[in-house]
Amino acid sequence: MRLPVLLAALVAVATCTETFFGHQVLRVVPQSDEELQKVQELQDLEHLQLDFWLAPRGLGVPIDIRVPFPSLQAVKAHLEAGGVPYSIMIEDVQALLDEEQAQMLRSSRQLPLNTDTFNYEAYHTIEEIYSFMDLLVAENPNLVSKLEIGRSTENRPLYVLKFSTGGTNRPAIWIDTGIHSREWVTQASGVWFAKKIVQDHANNEGVASILETMDIFLEIITNPDGFAFTHTKNRLWRKTRSKHSGSICVGVDPNRNWDAGFGEAGASSNPCTETYHGPYPNSEPEVKSIVDFVKSHGNIKAFISIHSYSQLLLYPYGYTTTPVPDQQELDEVSAKAVAALSSLYGTKYKYGSIITTIYRASGGTIDWTYNQGIKYSFTFELRDTGRYGFLLPAKQILPTAEETWLALKVIMEHARDNLY
Amino acid sequence: IPESGHKYYLQFSTEDYRTGEDAGNCLATVLYPKKKSPPVVSIKCSHTKDQKEIQEEDNRLYQRIRHQNKPVTANNIPDSYGHIEPALEPVWALAVAGSSSIMWEKSTETLGYSLAQVKSVRQWIRKDDFTEFDYTVLLHETPTQEIISCHLRLTWLPGHPLRVKHFCAPQSRAGDEGSGAESGSAAGPAAAKGANF
Repeated sequence: MRLPVLLAALVAVATCTETFFGHQVLRVVPQSDEELQKVQELQDLEHLQLDFWLAPRGLGVPIDIRVPFPSLQAVKAHLEAGGVPYSIMIEDVQALLDEEQAQMLRSSRQLPLNTDTFNYEAYHTIEEIYSFMDLLVAENPNLVSKLEIGRSTENRPLYVLKFSTGGTNRPAIWIDTGIHSREWVTQASGVWFAKKIVQDHANNEGVASILETMDIFLEIITNPDGFAFTHTKNRLWRKTRSKHSGSICVGVDPNRNWDAGFGEAGASSNPCTETYHGPYPNSEPEVKSIVDFVKSHGNIKAFISIHSYSQLLLYPYGYTTTPVPDQQELDEVSAKAVAALSSLYGTKYKYGSIITTIYRASGGTIDWTYNQGIKYSFTFELRDTGRYGFLLPAKQILPTAEETWLALKVIMEHARDNLY
Repeated sequence: IPESGHKYYLQFSTEDYRTGEDAGNCLATVLYPKKKSPPVVSIKCSHTKDQKEIQEEDNRLYQRIRHQNKPVTANNIPDSYGHIEPALEPVWALAVAGSSSIMWEKSTETLGYSLAQVKSVRQWIRKDDFTEFDYTVLLHETPTQEIISCHLRLTWLPGHPLRVKHFCAPQSRAGDEGSGAESGSAAGPAAAKGANF
């Protein structure tokens, strides 16, 4: 079809100065010399500013004319008075251009053939990320494997990537992204982290040394039902998509559903709210599967759960003002991690315990993991601080992932050097 | 302050919403009285821009809006991918300013807001020189994490304070202090300077 090429050319023009609000593309297929002549008469009327996409060539051959809005009435009157039938091929050129533009932004999301051609600077759908995971495993079978730790409420698989150079049940680091589905920069960063781990290992730098003695587990889409919903119905959906009896409202806040201060102040018992803790701890399969995994693994030494936005690095507790016994150490590690993060682009982060830094929150992930004995339990709140909030522009994905990775490395290295 | 309420002393820097440039520092005190009522605020700011610069920027913004061939209508600014069409930036900028007036009125000692997204905008053409817009804006409320939908009607002409009327949809929360119709027009300190982006 010629149209896309022509449209692409128009887009190039459109992005400079011209706009095409209200312009229409009319098609005439002249069946007689008189009809042909009537159209050719239009070509001579320069003031109409007509743009012939398909110039008159002969009888029975289509003529396509882009007509600027101010000339529409005159052109149509001329054709109708001359008894020349025409059809409106494009009702509003600008609308089509806008759609094309949007599509071009999305086109970088065609399924890639390998993880080197994958577009890390764009937001992706579930299918694209699952495809990425499979590609990563296929390209690095000796380092990466994909585990299914459970199924979501809507029966989507809960996949975790395992990065391991061997051993048996080595001490491990856990990272999860996307537990709150609307926090898109986190899943996008998770994808980048996965690739980064593989690259570091291949180049024997960065986390390669960590992988000598530890395993890394990465759950990129921790809340797939919510994530799918943000793509199809509501971009600002946060919770899971479970329905519990007794309410018409859907979803439980997966970061209030853990068994640490469950149901206490800092969560809501109202199913229609965003911080609804659920009917009981681990009611959500997305949460339960991680709980089961952590317990059966038994050797996780660092647990990092990633959210956005606010630019914070947090450690437990959220459900109580009582400081954790390891408060001082966690605070020192946080200070180092935040300094490393800021060193890249100057992004400012604050750090501290959840309850003193943001607000009281009960039933949270890292409060539970800390109480399980995972000392290095941290939560990140990534960019930004509210200007774009959840709708962080795609061009910030890369810098966000890069700077966050520096902080993650500080935590991982500290865990490696201080095994307990 | 015993018997009186809570008083906060704030020192903060500001930046241009559009460019991120430093826009001055402020010193403020905020007193939340013991009984429920709006806080008492005193504030003093330093400015990095002079009146003339601000006026010029406002005029440029105004011209960009007036220059459109037809009344602006749009949805989802930014879109899901955080993208804002350059042609829609001025319209978004006005929404930011107008929303700040809603947030100013709604915020409490324990509830804060951010503009999550402009869900829709529709421009009304007026016979006079004022620009007028109807918005649906989504506010992100902390710490509840709720998304509040508000209708915002805004008129503006450079050199005049932003005139804002708003109505936020009541939340379906049990035990919520039934928020009814809220509307107000604002001419706060930021508005008095006109849009400063």
